[in-house]
Amino acid sequence: MLIKDLLSHEWKKSIRAKGFYKNLAVNILLGFVGLYFATILLLLGFKLDEILEKAHKTLNPMELFNGAMLYILLIGLAFRFFMQQLNTFNLPPYQVLPIKRSSLINFLLLKPLFSPVNYILLLMVIPFAVQSVVGYYSAAVAVRFVLSFVLLVWFNSFTAAFLKRKYGSGLFSFLIVIAVLACIAALEYFKVFSLFDMSRALYGFIVLKTIGLLLPLSAVALAFFLNKWFFAQNYYPERFNVKLKGDKVRTTQLSFLNRFGIIGELISVEIKLILRHKRTKSILYMSGFFLLYGLMFYTQPVYAKSNGMLFFVAMFITGLLMFMYGQWTISWDSSHFDSLMTRNIPIRTYLNANYYLLVAFNLICFVLTTPYFYFGMKIVYMHVAAFIFNIGVNVFLLLFLATFNTKRIDLSKAQVMNYQGTTFKSFLIVLPIMFIPMIIVAALSALTSMTVALWTLTFLGIAGIVFRKYLITVCVNQFNRRKYKLAEGFREGE
Amino acid sequence: MIQVTNLQKAYNGVTVLNIQGLKIPQGESFGLVGNNGAGKTTFFRLILDLIEPSNGEVQIDDHTVMRNDEWKKTTGSFLDEGFLIDFLIPEEYFNFVGKLYHKTDGDITEFLETMKDFFNGEVLGSKKLIRDFSKGNQKKIGIVAALLGDPKILILDEPFTALDPSSQIRLKRFLNDLQLKFNMTMLISSHDLNHVTEVCKRIVVLEKGLIVKDLQTNADTLKELEAYFAV
Repeated sequence: MLIKDLLSHEWKKSIRAKGFYKNLAVNILLGFVGLYFATILLLLGFKLDEILEKAHKTLNPMELFNGAMLYILLIGLAFRFFMQQLNTFNLPPYQVLPIKRSSLINFLLLKPLFSPVNYILLLMVIPFAVQSVVGYYSAAVAVRFVLSFVLLVWFNSFTAAFLKRKYGSGLFSFLIVIAVLACIAALEYFKVFSLFDMSRALYGFIVLKTIGLLLPLSAVALAFFLNKWFFAQNYYPERFNVKLKGDKVRTTQLSFLNRFGIIGELISVEIKLILRHKRTKSILYMSGFFLLYGLMFYTQPVYAKSNGMLFFVAMFITGLLMFMYGQWTISWDSSHFDSLMTRNIPIRTYLNANYYLLVAFNLICFVLTTPYFYFGMKIVYMHVAAFIFNIGVNVFLLLFLATFNTKRIDLSKAQVMNYQGTTFKSFLIVLPIMFIPMIIVAALSALTSMTVALWTLTFLGIAGIVFRKYLITVCVNQFNRRKYKLAEGFREGE
Repeated sequence: MIQVTNLQKAYNGVTVLNIQGLKIPQGESFGLVGNNGAGKTTFFRLILDLIEPSNGEVQIDDHTVMRNDEWKKTTGSFLDEGFLIDFLIPEEYFNFVGKLYHKTDGDITEFLETMKDFFNGEVLGSKKLIRDFSKGNQKKIGIVAALLGDPKILILDEPFTALDPSSQIRLKRFLNDLQLKFNMTMLISSHDLNHVTEVCKRIVVLEKGLIVKDLQTNADTLKELEAYFAV
């Protein structure tokens, strides 16, 4: 009975959250994205046997898959550690009721396992098991193979929750995890120690022997009891709930910005905003991954001919931070917008500060992506053109269009993968900025040549830089027109 | 100083504020009272150009406030938590605001020194983010920040609520001081009739967006107000 009540409370909490229906359009869109990935995984599941068959001479597909299992486990763990939201269900209202504490804790721990997102990889694993494992071995082995994968998901879910509750997911733990993963990959690459072989042997035992499943089962139990132990140690919700944060804040010294007057002050506040909120910080981490996007495209001969696509990638990674943060460029300030509007900050100064911040983002990303120059002169030209276009045209487009985003963003609540404050408008802002240049390049390079296309964009960018003052004035006027709508929207809590 | 002409604000055709004319001269302490929904905060937001009037305008020093930056130099205000930047620690916030009014680090430190009593030793040097402070302390931070730029006009929305008794008394003394020493124009709204009659020389009662009383404070004002609000 209890579990049923708790589940119904959680369900009510999510559908009665303010803004749920307002954001329905976004939720539906996200649903389609999910469906897209599910379809891809399912198709991959049916093809996987064929792919793995060709991949290795002596090992059969399941052996190869088993070899990858520990990698899936580790990467999944790292991914969950940073992306998975802790199930912070609100204990206090229940704690004073006559409910056994252990049932509450069990609910807290087990609830995430019921989230279907956990099992999305099964869409790939099950077809593979049916097609390949049954063929090579038997139905019983295939069942054990699938079950072992489910147990892996459970183990990861428990372990990630434990690690996260115990250590928090700050920048430091992020670096440690990345370092550990890099070490394992390096050891494998230089053939010092092969996690692949170990994984193959281990999962071979688990899947082929009847008692094999006891091994992952006990690992899951261990992880589960680690969590129980953690809650026994930290009895009071204030010790584990919501945030693991100390009282003292490290004050970031950005004194070098003081030299730039009010603009410098505004930028330093904006940087503190990014560094002191989970949501903005996680965007920073994600940007780190996205910077590697180029590796996927520049190395593939398939894309070498599709200039539009290549330029899209070049523009995306050289303007990464601008695209990630810029789409909310004014909304980030929504919680203290009134403060900014009543203090001695001329609107022009405020927009100039945002402009310089976005330009600085572009500069940082441009420098960080210079290693891609190794892939040839074409990449160099594309990156330079994209950079100039970004700081000459896209910056102003963002500043102009950002005034249409009147939704309040509640930074203090939000965590990773949080779409609060995202509306259809957010997409409408980003789409033209991302895709119009791509279309221009694709069209011009098809009609004339890539050189002409890149020069066109470069000239547009340079024109933007030259007429900067005028363009800022256009943005200031637009801002003044939209100011009351913005202030009103930002004041409206969810 | 502050001149309001034919100011109206309507939401979906319903008028929530309608002030035909109002003049607040330099150095006046102006109290605004009224029940919930009377339009007090709406009036303050209109003065601070945070919402757009449906009609009419507010002028400060003969300049309209609408889409103008000029009045921001001389006006200090604190209406609610939206006026704080809650992810900063108080010192960072004061520094930021001080720099906007071209104060040096020395000016700011000196100013904060005089506020130590008001903070009761709880705010400065604690290295806590503003969002982690109690409502009362947040209010103190907001009021102090509003004063940081040596404003000629000070606008506070219900400054006494959420403050502890000692701080309420300190704040009253403090506001009276500012009036005497700097001849500051003050606009203060309050639900507490005692406080507002002690601090303000002129009291305006709003009801459903209309000015229903405009009183110069004297010995009988409190009684008159109490009689008016008695149900």
